[in-house]
Amino acid sequence: MITQTLDAFQVIADPSRRQMLMMLSKDSMTINALAENFDMSRPAVSKHIKIMYNAGFISIKDIGRERYCTLKENGFDEIQGFINYFDKFWTGKLKKLETLLNNKAKEK
Amino acid sequence: MENEIKKTWFFEQSPNEVWEYLTKPELIEQWLMKNNFQPILGQKFQFTFAAKEGSKYVGVVNCEVLEIKPFSKLSYTWDGSTSDGRIFNSEVTWTLVSKDNGTELQLSHDGFTVLEDILNHSGGWDSCWKRFEEHINATKK
Repeated sequence: MITQTLDAFQVIADPSRRQMLMMLSKDSMTINALAENFDMSRPAVSKHIKIMYNAGFISIKDIGRERYCTLKENGFDEIQGFINYFDKFWTGKLKKLETLLNNKAKEK
Repeated sequence: MENEIKKTWFFEQSPNEVWEYLTKPELIEQWLMKNNFQPILGQKFQFTFAAKEGSKYVGVVNCEVLEIKPFSKLSYTWDGSTSDGRIFNSEVTWTLVSKDNGTELQLSHDGFTVLEDILNHSGGWDSCWKRFEEHINATKK
């Protein structure tokens, strides 16, 4: 099955996937157990799982006949990275402003 | 996981002096970005910056003045795009507090739409987020 790789924002843009991640945030679950909660075909659920897996939101482990999904942090890193970017951005800008104001004070 | 940015910075200058650097285009440009800011409520303005070579990053931040209280508070929208071309909306608020012969400048940058979508999802994503955070913290330990 070919599944396109989506970025973190695209992954969480889908309500069903958000709900799956929400359920997985409580505990690891088998794909079958997850699928029971959704009014969609098993292949459709598998496709969502694959997308989340590809984007690093979950890991999949085979135990016996079952496939267990567990939440992974990698997928969320991209979103955190977005916030971190601005955090650094403003720190840099504020330092610059501080230097400017201090230099101006010295000139007086 | 943080969904907002808060910074507090102390300046030895008066709120009036710091305010000038937040509201005069030629002064803002010296530390932030080129802009056509005007201190008028509802005024639309833009910050512009050179996009890095080979990057699709659009060098424009679209803003609109939301609140303006001379020498004490300034707030504007901050609508930009990420390096991969994703549009986002957010808000920047500056608060100036006179303190210890200087100014405490508080910056708050929040209301990120890309994150709101995640955080405010009606299906209780918010509480999920907290659990996720705990999960992450537990994993990292």
